[in-house]
Amino acid sequence: MKKLVSIGILWTAFSVNAQEASVIAGKEIFGDLKARQIGPALMSGRVSDIEGHPTNNKVIYIGTAGGGVWKSQDGGVRFNSIFDDLPQSIGAVAIDPSDPDNTLWVGTGEVWTRNSVSIGDGIYRSNDGGNNWKKFGLEKTERISAIEIDPRDQNTIYVGALGALWGDSEDRGVFKTTDGGQTWTKILFVNAATGCSDLIMDPNDPNTLYASFWEFRRTAYSFNSGGMNSSLYKSTDGGKTWAKIHNGFPTGKLGRIAVTVAPSNSQILYAVVEAEKANEKGLYRSDDAGKTWKHLNSDFELTVRPFYFSRIVVDPKDPETVAKAGLGGSISHDGGKTFKNLGSMHSDIHDIWFDIKDSDKMFVATDGGLYRSLNGGTTMEIIENLPICQFYHVSVDNHTPYNIYGGLQDNGSWFGPSASPGGIEARDWESVGMGDGFRVYSHPTNPSIVYSEMQGAEGVWRYDQEKKQMKVIKPWPVQGDPKLRFNWNAAITTSKHAPDRLYMGSQFLHRSDDKGDNWTKISPDLTTNDASKQNQVESGGLSADNSGAENHCTIFTIAESPLDQNVIWIGTDDGNVQLTTDGGKTWANVTANLTGIPKNTWCYHIEASVFNKGTAYAVFDGHTRNDKSTYVLKTADFGKTWKSIITADVSGFTRNIQEDYKNPELLYLGTEFGLYVTVDGGAHWYKFTNGVPAAAVHYIEMHPKTNDLILGTHGRGIIIIDDVSPLRELNTEVMSKTLHFFTPQTVYMDETSSFGGASGETQFVGSNPSTSAKISYYLSKRHTFGKMTLEIFDNNANKISNVSPGKQKGINIVEWNYVSMAPKVASGKTIDAGGFFAPRVVEGRYKIVITKGKETFESFIDVKYPENSMYSAEERKLQHETTMKMFSMTEDLAYMVYEIDELIAHTDNTLKTNASLKKQALKLNTELNALKDGLVITKGDNYVGAGEKQLREKLSDLYSTVGSYYGAPSKTQLENLAMLEKQLQEAKKSFSAIKSAQVTKYKTATEKAGIKFIELKSFEEFVKKD
Amino acid sequence: MKRSFLLIAFIGMSVLSLGQTADEIINQYFETIGGLEKLNTISSVEMKAKVDYGGMSIPLQIVSMKDGRQFTKINFQGKEITQGAYDGTTAWGTNFMTMKAEKEDAESTENIKRSVGDLVSPFLNYNDKGYSVELLPNETIEGVDCFKLKLTKKPLLVDGEGVPNVEFYYIDKDNYVPIVVEQEINQGEMKGQISQTVFSDYQEVDGAYFAFSITQRIKDGMGQTIVIDSIELNKNYEESMFAFPAE
Repeated sequence: MKKLVSIGILWTAFSVNAQEASVIAGKEIFGDLKARQIGPALMSGRVSDIEGHPTNNKVIYIGTAGGGVWKSQDGGVRFNSIFDDLPQSIGAVAIDPSDPDNTLWVGTGEVWTRNSVSIGDGIYRSNDGGNNWKKFGLEKTERISAIEIDPRDQNTIYVGALGALWGDSEDRGVFKTTDGGQTWTKILFVNAATGCSDLIMDPNDPNTLYASFWEFRRTAYSFNSGGMNSSLYKSTDGGKTWAKIHNGFPTGKLGRIAVTVAPSNSQILYAVVEAEKANEKGLYRSDDAGKTWKHLNSDFELTVRPFYFSRIVVDPKDPETVAKAGLGGSISHDGGKTFKNLGSMHSDIHDIWFDIKDSDKMFVATDGGLYRSLNGGTTMEIIENLPICQFYHVSVDNHTPYNIYGGLQDNGSWFGPSASPGGIEARDWESVGMGDGFRVYSHPTNPSIVYSEMQGAEGVWRYDQEKKQMKVIKPWPVQGDPKLRFNWNAAITTSKHAPDRLYMGSQFLHRSDDKGDNWTKISPDLTTNDASKQNQVESGGLSADNSGAENHCTIFTIAESPLDQNVIWIGTDDGNVQLTTDGGKTWANVTANLTGIPKNTWCYHIEASVFNKGTAYAVFDGHTRNDKSTYVLKTADFGKTWKSIITADVSGFTRNIQEDYKNPELLYLGTEFGLYVTVDGGAHWYKFTNGVPAAAVHYIEMHPKTNDLILGTHGRGIIIIDDVSPLRELNTEVMSKTLHFFTPQTVYMDETSSFGGASGETQFVGSNPSTSAKISYYLSKRHTFGKMTLEIFDNNANKISNVSPGKQKGINIVEWNYVSMAPKVASGKTIDAGGFFAPRVVEGRYKIVITKGKETFESFIDVKYPENSMYSAEERKLQHETTMKMFSMTEDLAYMVYEIDELIAHTDNTLKTNASLKKQALKLNTELNALKDGLVITKGDNYVGAGEKQLREKLSDLYSTVGSYYGAPSKTQLENLAMLEKQLQEAKKSFSAIKSAQVTKYKTATEKAGIKFIELKSFEEFVKKD
Repeated sequence: MKRSFLLIAFIGMSVLSLGQTADEIINQYFETIGGLEKLNTISSVEMKAKVDYGGMSIPLQIVSMKDGRQFTKINFQGKEITQGAYDGTTAWGTNFMTMKAEKEDAESTENIKRSVGDLVSPFLNYNDKGYSVELLPNETIEGVDCFKLKLTKKPLLVDGEGVPNVEFYYIDKDNYVPIVVEQEINQGEMKGQISQTVFSDYQEVDGAYFAFSITQRIKDGMGQTIVIDSIELNKNYEESMFAFPAE
């Protein structure tokens, strides 16, 4: 007995724990809440690496700066994303030469180390062409520059790790595995500040390797390329020993070095060297496999921004044809002596790929996507289906459908619709700013005005997008002002209280109340104003690089309370949080009150609460101080005290947080590795993965009307999760119920036309939101065994529709397109398209019944006509009545044709089997066929061989036309209907006459002859829909 | 002490279940849906089903034989249209425009031949068919913690070349039935995208269990569900029902 009690206690304890865990754990709670990626792809984004299959030129992979890995299987026409769940910043993609169809490796962490570059978390392998991935260590390398696989032994692999950008690290250099990645040995290391920027295996001798090392460092306020430790090494024994090969290279400090071997001649090497003296920079060539080098060329394209463009590629067939990445990219056909520019395309070239079978076919990786040339680089065409653009920010307006505004890395500022007829196409996006784009806003009440900016506030614009007029509106320094410091991604925002107001942050907070024409400083310098961090003119190291990207000690985030215009929060890139509660007259520096945030950690975003003006959320990003921790704080007392609301569930440094508008416990968090959601104020966080890749989420916006969550990702464009309102009701009680219906959302029927869509199959088109009614519920357990149905009933308990229910554990969202069932249509020789039309329901409340095994669950949904409808109630009533009248006529006709068909079949049989009844049967048969010929098409096909339309087709034409227009039918249509009604009545009369004159006699005769007469279904049985 | 023992025993059981091999999972799956002996006796499956679409309820009759012969008949407005038919030699279907039978291309026909023997489950006697199975790390799908099995079947012919024919089976860890099958689309415009087939509403038919609800979709997209009203096993059919019709 005691034992039983013990088991009982143990089991109960386990069950409780298990239940608790099942209630609150896991991404599965999101269920059918799925994201749609709307791109756009017309400006695409940065591609960091291109890798082609060694023998099949139809297969091409690309790695991208923030959009993961994409694969083409049709020679580069269309690409699919194959790395969604893993870090999206890619350094290198490599195909295993001994199993090229299946095995590929991806080294994460881009190596083009601009200020906005992301990080990786190691190396991954797929054994099935990219469907499944497994991590194989090197987690702390952050950036992998190259992967070289021994063609003789797929378990022997060399990896070049550039490593950390923002601090010292031992996790860099050249690594080798001989057990397929199970263990790694660091076989070449220079020091904690110098990483492997390029690693090449001699294609003709796998024991020979070349590795370039680069001394480099970024801080938030400076960049250095070069030092005495940058160098080029060679090994001829599979990495056991390495020798520097600098004979002919410049002396002194070196910077980044790109190196490559001509595949067709291993003696020929090319290296692009960043050096101290201008005349020693550029291209070097060796004709003796690195023993000696000769300087060939210092052209601009060969020396420009080595940190961003250090890649050189040789034609696989011709060692004298060599292409260099650069601002525009260039190509030489004389072994590097002279170069010509590649054709016109987006600037900033990072990689070039020659087709293995045709060197005139090339792919080029740029800041603005992937380009293809069919003529050796002379003309370039962009691949139009790579939605990998890098948004810094998003905002929305109040249009229906709403528009989305945002700025992109090196690709300007744009706005486009959240929905568009035929899908969201490239042509739907409008350019509203040049340069690098950042924060873009629509004027809160004047929809024609858009504000945008470019890097470092070099341009801040007010654009009238209807009149196409633009004005520069940036704040200018006035007498007594120091130089204004604007961040690369300068803070600008509109006000919820004053429509013409703008705020802009330099080191001061500026306010304009006339749409940017005039500005007032409303704060002192709110930053630390640390002079040691303001020497950007010295930035770059061996190659000066003062682009504005390192501007520091600036305001980065501005948050005006939605509840009180005098309450404004400020966060700076050097770690300050400041608050005014009197519209800028006085400021309180609350930085000292922050909990657990290291000094000078970048305050990336502050979210002022919609529930309480003393409440705010602040996220901090320490990655530019080599601190990848996740920091999210909340205050409820105007910054006097803060508490951390982050848990170990969250991965990646933080960029943004969005508070829900209705549920203060519901928060959305953007990190470097994706989107996280909490439903309990931060006690637990869940990663949202349904269509949201592990991309850096730089900004989150929530639309107040639609409850959509809009993500600006830095590598996967705009991602929308439509109507997240079910999340507001999630709690442990709801999640414990067998089935919980979420509060039904009223649906306004969509009456827009289905016209639209002009993109071809090679162009990306973002999907539209569904316009159907959504029936949402939560299942605590997946339904797997036994029947489950979902039925919809009208007010009179008539079943309107069957809909397939969702059955997964978590949130299920079932769509119903508010139509009832289509009519039963007469059978003819052809299919009658109009007969498939199902009438739309009238406005009203509809009952939802889910039957799950023996249990039933009920809810309802309110369906309404659109608010801005052009049709009156009377018009709609007439439309519906007319439609339903034709619905009945269609079914009457169908039943009549069914009776006729049964009789024809019977008489056909009699004609074959009973000679004595032949005359009688033939007469009846002939008259029935003659009657039928006027009722339905009895000849031809479903295309251009179609027969002449008969009553069925004429009726269904009118029925579907009237039914699919929501206003009143026209007089002509009603006259047409009257004509068809008459025809139907006449047909009924004719059939009735045939029945009374012949069928009764025929029935008697056949039964007398021992032939069984037909048994007709009743009308009700015949028209039954399921 | 006794409690400790029980706890250890319980943990031991959990470890055992964690360490299951692919074959053990497959055997448990067979056991759950009727047992290997029963499954091997099934020579044909006929489903009467419907698809609800846009206010229409479209009836289907789907017949599959152990020897690979099959057809699906769809009824539109009283007209019967055949799709996915295979008579052992020829694969064919009705052209919607002419309403006449047309043969499938040679590759499609060959690919049907290569999947002969997959009635009820492709895992049945998979070794004998030259298929291979690999157990991958568990994954959550449909909110359910699942075993993930990689099933590699005979290569498919696509544009004249053999391509791997791989399906990923997600098997519910609690009840050992497949709830989702994933496959990379191998040809056409959708090539490279992932298709998912979702199974639910398992019910018993003469001692064997079948999914009565089957949804086909692109991963993360909306699906189309076939709802099965009835299933009959081991019926006999006229040869002419599968045959490519003469003019």
